[in-house]
Amino acid sequence: MLPLRPVCGGIWRAAVHTVRMSRGAPPYRLFSSTCDGAPAALADADTIFALSSGHGRCGVAVVRVSGPASATALRCMAGFTQRLPPPRTALLRSITDPRSTEVLDRGLVLWFPAPRSFSGEDSVEFHIHGGPAVVTAVLQALGSVPGLRPAEAGEFTRRAFQAGKLGLTEVEGLGDLIHAETEAQRRQALRQMSGELGRLYQDWSDRLKRCLAHVEAFIDFSEDELIEDGVLNRVDVSVSDLQAEIERHLKDERRGERLRSGVQVVIAGATNAGKSSLLNKLCQRPAAIVSPIAGTTRDVVETALDLGGFPVLLSDTAGLRDSSDLVEREGVRRARERVEQADLTLVVVDSHLRSVLPDTGTVPCVCLLMHRLCLLVLNKADLLPEKQRQKLDTELRGVSGLPAVRLISCQTNEGLKAFLTVLHSSVKTLCGDPLFGAPTLTQARHRAHLQRCAAALAQYQRYRDTDLALAAEGVRLAVTSLGRITGRVGAEEILDIIFKDFCIGK
Amino acid sequence: MLSIVFFSASVNQLLRCASHMLRKKLPFLHSLLSPVSRHVGHLTGHQYDVIVVGGGHAGTEAAAAAARVGAETLLITQKIHTIGALSCNPSLGGVGKGQLVKEVDALDGLCGRAGDWAGIHFSILNRRKGPAVWGPRAQLDRQRYRDFIQSELLSTPRLTMVEGSVEELLVTEPNPEEPGHHRVTGIRLANGSHAISARSVVLTTGTFLSGSLFVGQTTSPGGRIGDAPSSAGLSHTLRERLGLRTGRLRTGTPPRIVKDSVDLSLAKLHLPDSHPTPFSFLNTHTHCKPEEQLPCYLTFTTPGVERVVRESLQLNCHIQQDTKGPRYCPSIESRVLRFPGRSHQVWLEPEGVTSDLLYPQGLSMTMPPDIQLRLIREIPPMRRAEIHTPGYGVQYDFVCPTQLSPALQVKSTQGLFLAGQINGTTGYEEAAAQGLWAGANAARSALSMPTVTLSRTESYIGVLIDDLVSRGVTEPYRMFTSRAEFRTSLRPDNADLRLTPKGRCFEEVGCVSSVRYQESLRVRNSLQDALTALQALFLSTSSWKKKLPSVPISETKSTLLTGLDLLQYNDVTFEMLASAFPESLSSFMEFAQRLKIEAVYKPHCDLNKKEIERIQREENMSLPQDIDYFSLPVSLSDEVREILDRVRPSTLGAATRLEGITPAAVVNLLNYVRVTEKKKETHRNQRQQEAQRDEELCANSASLPQ
Repeated sequence: MLPLRPVCGGIWRAAVHTVRMSRGAPPYRLFSSTCDGAPAALADADTIFALSSGHGRCGVAVVRVSGPASATALRCMAGFTQRLPPPRTALLRSITDPRSTEVLDRGLVLWFPAPRSFSGEDSVEFHIHGGPAVVTAVLQALGSVPGLRPAEAGEFTRRAFQAGKLGLTEVEGLGDLIHAETEAQRRQALRQMSGELGRLYQDWSDRLKRCLAHVEAFIDFSEDELIEDGVLNRVDVSVSDLQAEIERHLKDERRGERLRSGVQVVIAGATNAGKSSLLNKLCQRPAAIVSPIAGTTRDVVETALDLGGFPVLLSDTAGLRDSSDLVEREGVRRARERVEQADLTLVVVDSHLRSVLPDTGTVPCVCLLMHRLCLLVLNKADLLPEKQRQKLDTELRGVSGLPAVRLISCQTNEGLKAFLTVLHSSVKTLCGDPLFGAPTLTQARHRAHLQRCAAALAQYQRYRDTDLALAAEGVRLAVTSLGRITGRVGAEEILDIIFKDFCIGK
Repeated sequence: MLSIVFFSASVNQLLRCASHMLRKKLPFLHSLLSPVSRHVGHLTGHQYDVIVVGGGHAGTEAAAAAARVGAETLLITQKIHTIGALSCNPSLGGVGKGQLVKEVDALDGLCGRAGDWAGIHFSILNRRKGPAVWGPRAQLDRQRYRDFIQSELLSTPRLTMVEGSVEELLVTEPNPEEPGHHRVTGIRLANGSHAISARSVVLTTGTFLSGSLFVGQTTSPGGRIGDAPSSAGLSHTLRERLGLRTGRLRTGTPPRIVKDSVDLSLAKLHLPDSHPTPFSFLNTHTHCKPEEQLPCYLTFTTPGVERVVRESLQLNCHIQQDTKGPRYCPSIESRVLRFPGRSHQVWLEPEGVTSDLLYPQGLSMTMPPDIQLRLIREIPPMRRAEIHTPGYGVQYDFVCPTQLSPALQVKSTQGLFLAGQINGTTGYEEAAAQGLWAGANAARSALSMPTVTLSRTESYIGVLIDDLVSRGVTEPYRMFTSRAEFRTSLRPDNADLRLTPKGRCFEEVGCVSSVRYQESLRVRNSLQDALTALQALFLSTSSWKKKLPSVPISETKSTLLTGLDLLQYNDVTFEMLASAFPESLSSFMEFAQRLKIEAVYKPHCDLNKKEIERIQREENMSLPQDIDYFSLPVSLSDEVREILDRVRPSTLGAATRLEGITPAAVVNLLNYVRVTEKKKETHRNQRQQEAQRDEELCANSASLPQ
């Protein structure tokens, strides 16, 4: 984390305070670059697929497949039974589901044999209609082709880089790109993990870790230690329960939880900065109660908006402050959680409070600290005397590295139009991000990992009585597969559970 | 003195000739030991390739490995006769640890053969849990173990041993062509201020680095009871002169009990394996005859033990300290405090064939001696027991091992290597493994050969070293099989296949004798031939049923099965197949057990292979040690730069395993490594071309008419 320099008063303190408050909870690490996190990126024998075009309203969506089994996908989904199409030529085909042979869509397919493709491997592109139903169906169909799995963050780009397909100048920007992708995925995963599905996965993960710890303890210690034989029997029960639960979950065709889609825009800031007024202005109706009393908004108020064609989910949150009121404290907690999951944060600051500019070093902290997109909204411009307004203006110009700042008044509508333009372009940029809000992609990924997890648990059952090392390998694989959804599990964590549960000493 | 050393070398050759079979008699050499190496005067001014400081498990393996690689080596220890002493438990191996012993042996180290010579109770732990996690283990005769190690070292060519205490490490300006802030040039001994120079120094000081001993409320400086404390000078050099970060750890040892005073009839008898399995790949049997093995005994603590611990807490300094001790080898005090109201196991182990003592494993304690006696007498078989030597605790400094390279060299100091407890580990086997690797690398570095590393994908030694140098330690580090990601591939049975060929060729490590190398080749080729022969047996299920009527083969499965497929069945042994197909298989009977294991694990190892290759690829991309992460012209966040600067991973593989390193950072580093490697290569090519040009020029000018 970046060091926070002391902040003087004024707007900047208010803004930085918002950031600090919103970072109350430790950051989650869902995608790490460790053994079971990133590596998929460097292992290239698998064939991967992903939606490569942006989200939002688009006529055509592009799904890319890369890897040795690309030709198989092309054969069984675009009906090329005899021979493959000529390379790099667009052909209009019916795209079918290989399991049911049902026609999913009619679209263009392109075949790029290695090495003349973006990734340097055999690749296929499906250009299909952009509706979410079609995209979901095609992605699910691809997932059923043997040897194919959903791509990890940045995997296509990384393969291209490994194959020497990207020049140095292109590579320069690659890190930032992948960072952006993982960041988008992290936000998305956070949204899901905080829901019911997340709790389910977390529970499975905890139980699996415990199973693994107990098997490992039995292997590493039991001979001359006091580990009761019952340990393994309990693991047996746990493993078969888990296996059954995961398989049942995979068979469940209902979507467990409706994912909230759209760009998540969160309004945050100190109490009485005018956050609810801004929400009401943006949705053009009194969706939230507005009053001069600090702490009026206590819960998250959500509104779905259409912003120049892009879906936006706008949330107003409780003003961030330390409060002894239980209800308000819960509201502040929810507000922080929302900011953590936001794609874009509107930090609202009361401009007429004070406008003493602190040492400039603190200001970039606002955006850097957040590691995410934010807009700084200086509200209550109408209360600002002309002289102070000019002073503020010059001060703002003197600071580099600020997020976009807009001076507005929810009272007089001053500056609102300019603000909307900035907001619109930010949302538009977000929607161009191929990973943004693509629940189908994430779900396909989850499914693949869960299937692998269940298969690995079957390995435990198979070897339980003959070779415990191979049985344990099954549980290890299961933990790793689930870890790709819930976060990495290291050897140390397993040892911690062992020492907590057993008195081991020799 | 030198003549005596040469004499011992010739004896060694004799010994080596006989080393195929297990030596029946140890040479008389250890009686010569003390006169050999007491005078150090003439050593001053002598230039050694490698100096090893310390004569424990790490030191002895380091010295022997360095000499095997070809370095003129000097081992300095406080007391010659404690070389190879087992300071704590009289046993070797176990789950995870046994794998390390097998690997040290595969690289021609000492401890496996010493264990086979000194073992008096052999057993394979985890026998029912699968060959990948078998734990070969032995109770040892302390005297025999020490004798073996000492005679082995004495008969090692190029190795000299000397008694002395090292006062100071001599360092000078670094070699500018290599990374580092200092370069080691030798050591200075205490009293007499002899300076002895060397190109590499291996420190294996164990618990002696600022060590203090604890019994009850008294504390005294020292690393082991009965031995003088080592000088504070070494500690000072490491911390102040070299600026190394150190931490503090603690450990302890139980009281030794007079055997005759224990009523063993009240304890549970625990017998060894009826057929002892040797540790070493070179031995077919152990020195101890099966029927001569000694038993161990198992007993349990009582509520009285817990009472004594609680009553004496205020008299127990060691336990009150918050220095980190091992969670998995806790003192009896921490066991009863952490898990009260339970009965804890205590093993009563023999200390040797002729020893009058018992070692009560699980009873490490630091209370005053009179209370120790009260405590052990709360355990039924020891109601009237007498204590020979009380238990005590040790606290000592360790050097944070993240400051080391995977060759176990201190990154900031050229030529300085560390191994054993000084790196924060615990256990003989962990120490021996590091010692061997540090010694081999110290020798290579002294002989101007590049240092070498072992991957965590190919050995437990690699796992151990990688964990140490890339993650560091927070408590004494012990090996567990659960630490190895590729446990099913890194088995005790195949350590020779994994490591011996690697250790043989001079370009690789150069620490394996030709006898061992030839043997490992023979084994490898035979196993390969046998597997090929098994795969060539290609029969239908019905024919298999006729051949092996007792095996339940389901006919619905597959119509054609190979011998290898059949060997994967639970109830099929290689012996059964060999008797069905004697013409093609009977010649491989010697490897029956290994073939069965290979067959069962093959599909899983094949699955591992892809992941292993990926990790190895990343590990082959080394990151320069002198890299300035803060000014590196690639896109990295400040957070990532800070982590990289702090840990300084040696390879891209190590970097990816660090907490807090993002995928983006890995790609950027990958890019950096690629580009710099390419540059280096072109540079090298250019230099080669220039050299070629120069040669041609010389040749041309030589042929020019005068």
